[in-house]
Amino acid sequence: MTATSLTPKSPVRVRIRANRLILYTVLVAVTGLFLGPFGWLVLTGLKTPAELASAPVHWVPAHIQWHNFADAFDLIDFLGYARNSLIIAFVYAGLVTLSSAWVGYGFARLSAPGKKTLFGILIGSMMLPQMITLLPTYLIFAKLGMVDTYWPWVLWGLSSAPYLVFLFRQFFAGLPRELEEAAIVDGCGYGTIFWRIFLPQSWPVLSASFVIAFTWTWGDYIAPQLLLSTDRSTLAVAVMTTYVSSAGTPITNLQAAASVMYVVPILLIFLVAQRGFVAGMSTSGLK
Amino acid sequence: MTVDQMSTVADRPRATASAGRTRSAGRAGATMTARRHRAFYMFVAPWIVGFLLLTIVPMAYALWLSFTTFDGISPNWHYVGLGNYRELMNDSVTWDSLGRAGLFAVVSVPLSIVAGLGLAVLVNRPIRARGLFRTLLYLPAVVPPVGAGIAFKNLFDQNAGATNGVLTFFGFDAIGWLADPYARYVLIMTVLWGAGNIMIISLAGLQDVPRELHEAARIDGASAWRTFRSITVPLLSPVLLFQTVTGVIASVQTIMPMLLAPLATTGGLTTVPQSNYTYMIHVFSQYFALGRYGYASALLWVLFVLILIATGLIFRFTSGVVFYNVDPEAKK
Repeated sequence: MTATSLTPKSPVRVRIRANRLILYTVLVAVTGLFLGPFGWLVLTGLKTPAELASAPVHWVPAHIQWHNFADAFDLIDFLGYARNSLIIAFVYAGLVTLSSAWVGYGFARLSAPGKKTLFGILIGSMMLPQMITLLPTYLIFAKLGMVDTYWPWVLWGLSSAPYLVFLFRQFFAGLPRELEEAAIVDGCGYGTIFWRIFLPQSWPVLSASFVIAFTWTWGDYIAPQLLLSTDRSTLAVAVMTTYVSSAGTPITNLQAAASVMYVVPILLIFLVAQRGFVAGMSTSGLK
Repeated sequence: MTVDQMSTVADRPRATASAGRTRSAGRAGATMTARRHRAFYMFVAPWIVGFLLLTIVPMAYALWLSFTTFDGISPNWHYVGLGNYRELMNDSVTWDSLGRAGLFAVVSVPLSIVAGLGLAVLVNRPIRARGLFRTLLYLPAVVPPVGAGIAFKNLFDQNAGATNGVLTFFGFDAIGWLADPYARYVLIMTVLWGAGNIMIISLAGLQDVPRELHEAARIDGASAWRTFRSITVPLLSPVLLFQTVTGVIASVQTIMPMLLAPLATTGGLTTVPQSNYTYMIHVFSQYFALGRYGYASALLWVLFVLILIATGLIFRFTSGVVFYNVDPEAKK
């Protein structure tokens, strides 16, 4: 990027150089804009209430309040809510990954009359607005006494998720026919074929599916807000609603610190599982 | 699978393929087929049962409720026929909130698709640290709604927000971003913040565009913009269509206005600024604040029908675009 280039500067070279400079400037600026809100959240979480209340903006905290993070952790039962979030995320993600693999296998490797219609409904249901089913679902679960339990997540998990079924179907459909032929000739049941041959092959999709389902549940605000009472509720709800003083005013700095602690695990999971996660996301809607 | 099992199979590899001519083999084939059919239903059963119980039943229940005055508490609720729908038709708040939701979708969906596609083109160039840029730009899309809501609330805070900090630094007046009429712009920005999602999906699409087409266009003297418009965009159209449809559905359902509101609990629905009082917020306030389950159910059913019509229209106007492939055999 420096002007002290050793190569002779032909006009073309200069133009390419200028283009690259613009490209990098745009990229760095946009990346800065994209990271800005999160950076500001961290800064907000490190300030005092006084700094947040006074009018000209305090760009950086005068004295970094690291203890805000500890305070945010102690003010509410942070660990308890985190545990609740972990439980439903693990239960849902585990079950939905297995059930979606199971259903996906059916759509990929087996056939029966009505298959096309069923698959059409499955894909169509991906576009079904979830809110429309969620409010009546709440009323039904209330009647069945399942409000304030984790049963709804078990049931949702067992019934598979169209998006994940689609991922598994795409993956299983791409595996060679020879894989199951031998087993069929030997009279193996399809259940055995699925468990013993196909499932062990599908580690990339299994992990992508688990991560995707886990982040859905960890990030979900409405379902736990509707279905769970305070003690059993999740971190998403707690972070949003409980950082309020007795006078009813929000405790902004602690809420910011808490939301950093709420978001970071998801960012870490994403960074670790990045490859499979992105691959999973990008297969959707293609082909 | 053991080695000698494999060899047994290799000895009679065509046994199933050549069957079907003789009567006995035909019957064997028929039972095989029946077994395969049974297995198919066994495998898709969890989804079918779940879909019926957790989607169809709740929707039917909501349809029934939408004809009643049910509020969850009062025992003497009754059937009012189309009463809720009649009220809905005459309720200007409902229409205004629907208009806001529609406007929000019409503005935010194309904007985020253009932004996502633009970013995809940028990070598809051969540049240094490409992977890092991709990851960082995608990162906000992973941030859960609650995290995004709180982050944007702090960013656009009247006193302590960075945006007003920049404005006042340059001598402008601070703006009450989270109130009318600016709240709507903040809402749109939260959507744009997640454009990395569209970037990743478009990027996968971009990489599927055959290189020869671009080279041929360049030889023919087409400009970069022309190539993009006439080759890249048409080839990406299935991806863009998918993004449009899912984007519209997601945007009318967003609860972000609630999360951006000053005291965002369900009780804080009344604090949502007018310009962000969208249809879904209206549903929630009828449901939570007023306990009008019957009326809220009618609102939801109207929304469902409107979404069906909207997606139908989108597909209609973009017909000729292949969306996905139902038949796995057709892939080969």
